[in-house]
Amino acid sequence: MLEIRGHARGGQGMVTAFEILAKIFSKLGDFQVQSFPAFGVERTGAPIQAFLRVAKGDILNRSNIYEPNLIVVFDETLIDMVPVFDGLKGNGSVLLNTENDASKYSEYSSSIFTIPATKISLEKGLGSKSLPIVNAAMIGAIMRVLDADIEIAKKIVAENVPSKPEANADSSFVAYENVLGIDKINRTLIESFHKTEAEALTIDIEKIMSVEKHPDENMIFPSWSQPMSLNKTGNWRVLTPSYLTKEAPCSSNCPAGTDVRGFIDLASDKKFTEAFDLIYEHNPFPSICGRVCPHFCEQNCNRNSIDDALNIGAVERFLGDKNFEREVPKAEISQKEKIAVIGAGPAGLTTALRLVEKGYETTVFEALPQAGGMMRTGIPEFRLPSNVLDKEIENIEKRGVKVILNKKVAVKELENEFDAVVTSVGSHIGSSMRIENEELSIDGIKFLQNFKLNGDAQGIKKGEEIAIIGGGNTAIDVSRTALRLGAKPVVYYRRTHNEMPAISHEVEEAVKEGVKFEFLTAPVAMKKTDDGRIEVTIVKMELGEPDDSGRRRPVPIENSEYKITVDRVIKAIGQWFDDYAFEGKEVKPEQGKIDFEANVPIFCAGDMAWGGTVTEAIGSGNKAAEEVHAYLQSLPYSHEETMPEVVLPDKINFAYYLPSPRYNGDEHFPKDLYNDFSEVVSGLGDEDIVKETSRCLHCGECFSCGNCYNYCPDSAIHIDDHGRLRIDYDYCKGCGICVQECPCSAMEFKLSEVTND
Amino acid sequence: MTNGTITEEKNIANNSGKTVYPRHTEKIMKGNFAAAEAAKLCRSGFIPAYPITPQTTIVEELSAKVARGEMDAAYVNMDSEHSVFAAAMGAALAGERVFTATSGQGLFYAHEVLHAIAHFRLPIVICNVGRPSIPWNIWSDQSDSISQRDTGWVQIYGESSQEVLDSVIQSFIIAEELDLPVMVVLDAFYQSHTSENIWIPEQQLVDEFLPAKKSKGDEIDLESPKSIGGLVPPEHYEKFNYTYWQNINQVEELTNKVGKDFGKHFGREYKAVESFNINKNTKLVLVTMSSITTTARGVIKNHPDVGLLKLRLFKPFPKQSVLEALKELPDDAIIAPIERNFLGDNYGATIQELMRAFYNERNFKMYDFYTGLGGKDVPPLTIEKIIYKAKNNPKDVNWIDLEY
Repeated sequence: MLEIRGHARGGQGMVTAFEILAKIFSKLGDFQVQSFPAFGVERTGAPIQAFLRVAKGDILNRSNIYEPNLIVVFDETLIDMVPVFDGLKGNGSVLLNTENDASKYSEYSSSIFTIPATKISLEKGLGSKSLPIVNAAMIGAIMRVLDADIEIAKKIVAENVPSKPEANADSSFVAYENVLGIDKINRTLIESFHKTEAEALTIDIEKIMSVEKHPDENMIFPSWSQPMSLNKTGNWRVLTPSYLTKEAPCSSNCPAGTDVRGFIDLASDKKFTEAFDLIYEHNPFPSICGRVCPHFCEQNCNRNSIDDALNIGAVERFLGDKNFEREVPKAEISQKEKIAVIGAGPAGLTTALRLVEKGYETTVFEALPQAGGMMRTGIPEFRLPSNVLDKEIENIEKRGVKVILNKKVAVKELENEFDAVVTSVGSHIGSSMRIENEELSIDGIKFLQNFKLNGDAQGIKKGEEIAIIGGGNTAIDVSRTALRLGAKPVVYYRRTHNEMPAISHEVEEAVKEGVKFEFLTAPVAMKKTDDGRIEVTIVKMELGEPDDSGRRRPVPIENSEYKITVDRVIKAIGQWFDDYAFEGKEVKPEQGKIDFEANVPIFCAGDMAWGGTVTEAIGSGNKAAEEVHAYLQSLPYSHEETMPEVVLPDKINFAYYLPSPRYNGDEHFPKDLYNDFSEVVSGLGDEDIVKETSRCLHCGECFSCGNCYNYCPDSAIHIDDHGRLRIDYDYCKGCGICVQECPCSAMEFKLSEVTND
Repeated sequence: MTNGTITEEKNIANNSGKTVYPRHTEKIMKGNFAAAEAAKLCRSGFIPAYPITPQTTIVEELSAKVARGEMDAAYVNMDSEHSVFAAAMGAALAGERVFTATSGQGLFYAHEVLHAIAHFRLPIVICNVGRPSIPWNIWSDQSDSISQRDTGWVQIYGESSQEVLDSVIQSFIIAEELDLPVMVVLDAFYQSHTSENIWIPEQQLVDEFLPAKKSKGDEIDLESPKSIGGLVPPEHYEKFNYTYWQNINQVEELTNKVGKDFGKHFGREYKAVESFNINKNTKLVLVTMSSITTTARGVIKNHPDVGLLKLRLFKPFPKQSVLEALKELPDDAIIAPIERNFLGDNYGATIQELMRAFYNERNFKMYDFYTGLGGKDVPPLTIEKIIYKAKNNPKDVNWIDLEY
């Protein structure tokens, strides 16, 4: 009788190979055959055995094979893991699937054959690199070792494989031809194959039983209190799960770089100071951004796939307002270099704050009588109350930033006194419409500035009809300010609502307040009427092919002109920077260090470089400060940013989250807005903030929901002394259920080896 | 062959001396597939199914056979084993020949319905692939079927998968003749997942032996509605039990008769029990069921004074056949049953049944041996240990490898 024992991992198909072998042997002669598997407790990846007995007569044994004539190892990684060579008969042989030299195993057998079955199988397209199907190749090699008929084997392989019969039969043949060590073929093995009887059992039962009379004191009995203790399955793992914090879309989309998920989490624990501090690391204007930012975070919030985005703006505003009156220690000046910043807007002030925190003495020069830049001059009171702005700037000054007002300066004036100059003058010059009699119109950005700084309504009276040209934030703020001055504003925009660059909720508020919109229109001419009003010729537009911005380009419709007569025209079609700082010299404003001839390095930040929102300006300021510091200290700095893996909606297990309505602040829309510049949207209180933060999905970060703990079929996940969920890699067999059931994608699952700490 | 006694004239030996069965095809097949093949050959008309390891491939293969059009049967995926057996009961009441298969927890879950099937006198045949319950385990063990021994089902244990196939055919005859359900038990993995040589009889040969199910005239009939299973008052209840008792007492004799007829027809003869090397010189008799028998037969070849009693029919316990098989055995001989079952009692099921059979009849020395529970391998060495221990100062009950 011939006895073969095979070693492989569950899922590799060895059991099928042994079934096919049984069929082959039954056709090689009048053999009785018996093939069966021995599965462990675990399945895929776990070491398994398969057995095959072949005899001319009855097989009087239905137990596992302990003393095989031939040992076949399908997966060589098992050799160090399980005692594959155990019990091999003295004259037996070993067949290994390997490309390596097998002589190191010569202590186990004097007859070792090798076959590169994985290579052969992959060349024949059988299985994949991670799971090659080596069955047919191993069968071919076994045929060679036993000097058996490969043609019968090929036929039966082709008949019995579930797919690719030809490739499998070829693979058997290639393996048959390529067994290494075949020059020393084992004749004894071949003879045992043709022998009828099993070799007599040679056991000295007296001896065995005399040893066994002394019971093993150390015998382990299982206990349900440690059900897995006998079954360490960790080394059977192929794929390994682990906890991995990934980037949330709210954080990755914040231009300032704010750790949104982090501060939301702290706020949900009522750790309002810590939450504020976390925001402040990236954003020194939380009260302002909470109010006026378009909330890039919310736009990308995965909660949008369930109901509405988390009201991150409200939380940020709450945290900012709550911390107005905090202690602000003055930063210690530790660097010798002095730095000048031109322009006290969000970019300039942020740059200055960061540089002061890094130890540089920093002075900000502001042309206007008040600091704040566009936050001060461009954003109306009803969106951003002045006291909020004052508080946030005051706290920056307390930290040590020196702000000099009413001082319009050029780079040249500063290059001898300072070691670096950062220009962040904003975009306060309105663009031209380039139409006839353009001087009849008022510049929107100037209008807002005059009104904000001096309360100058610039002649706008109650009941006046005003045409506002443009579709950006300036146009909207102008229209809403005009409304409050009692006028009837109509916004003319050359594209449609969808293409408007203005913040969408601001547009919604404007509509609610009563601002009218005329989309797909553009002024082509203006003239003064006899009664002192303005006649505007408007042309209708249609959308053509997309332009560089990706938006469809507006194209005038021929002969579609019509005329309107209004009291006033305010243009708000774009803004540009004031080049006074460069004395009118040509300069290309871009983020960071720019090419401009001066005795000291010149940097650029804020709206003049890119962006157009407060938060973008803050992000720009953070980066500019980093670059200035790197430049002065000769440290490496790169504008290149690596994009981390962001948890997108397809990675969220939405079934684990319940719908929960968004908490919004109350909106204040009185019937009569005349002279009402009070803030439109109210903030939320402590309790509502905690409730709102509880809506966070925690994208990409473990929030100890315990799904992994509950679902782990091996109880391999536990809660450690610090209350953290941890995987016990002694027992984790890599089934991946924890990863699958993680609601927020805070785990990864990959080919890697991890051991317990 | 490893099974039964071969009736010489029906079979021919080929050139190399191997037995060849006419009107059969030899295939290499796993036990579960042999069970499915048997259900097909018996023309089972209704198969309610629910999968459970290690039975799954039986119902999968039957599903495939029905889908391929090889079988004219209604195959119904049920939601649980309780439902499987309830559906089996309904179909049998309507006169269908019903087959299904289960294992371990599935059989436990069906327990209530097993009683109903037996005492509604429904001739259903099933295969049970033996596995235990808790501690959770999927491997070979007879605790599941043996714990159902008082439900009223006939139980037959097959030593090889050939025997399983042949026993399913015989079971339909026994079941339909006495209106009793029969459970054919095979071992998990050692049979269910073991590929071995199996002779498949041709359909015509089976049809000649097992005719189509005869109508008894009391099946459910839509044209003539009636109530089944109503409350039975005390004055009638015993009568049901009495008639059941009369029929269950005929099972042993009928099993031997059907086994003999099967031998004449197919070339492989079967009995309720089988004995090996039991004579007046035998000092020790091992008692086994299912696949351990084969290994034990190999081992006793080296022990001229050790005999082997294989129980094929376990329930109702074949008392007369056992006494007959041990007729020549001297009274001072030792009986050593091997128990691949644990029922929470001191003694395993085999010795319990043997003791009842021997009471007032024979007075052997009896020692019980637990081994192979939950699929623990029983190699020749374990059998050697049992033989040694039985002869050398045995305990009343012995646990091989755990106690000395």
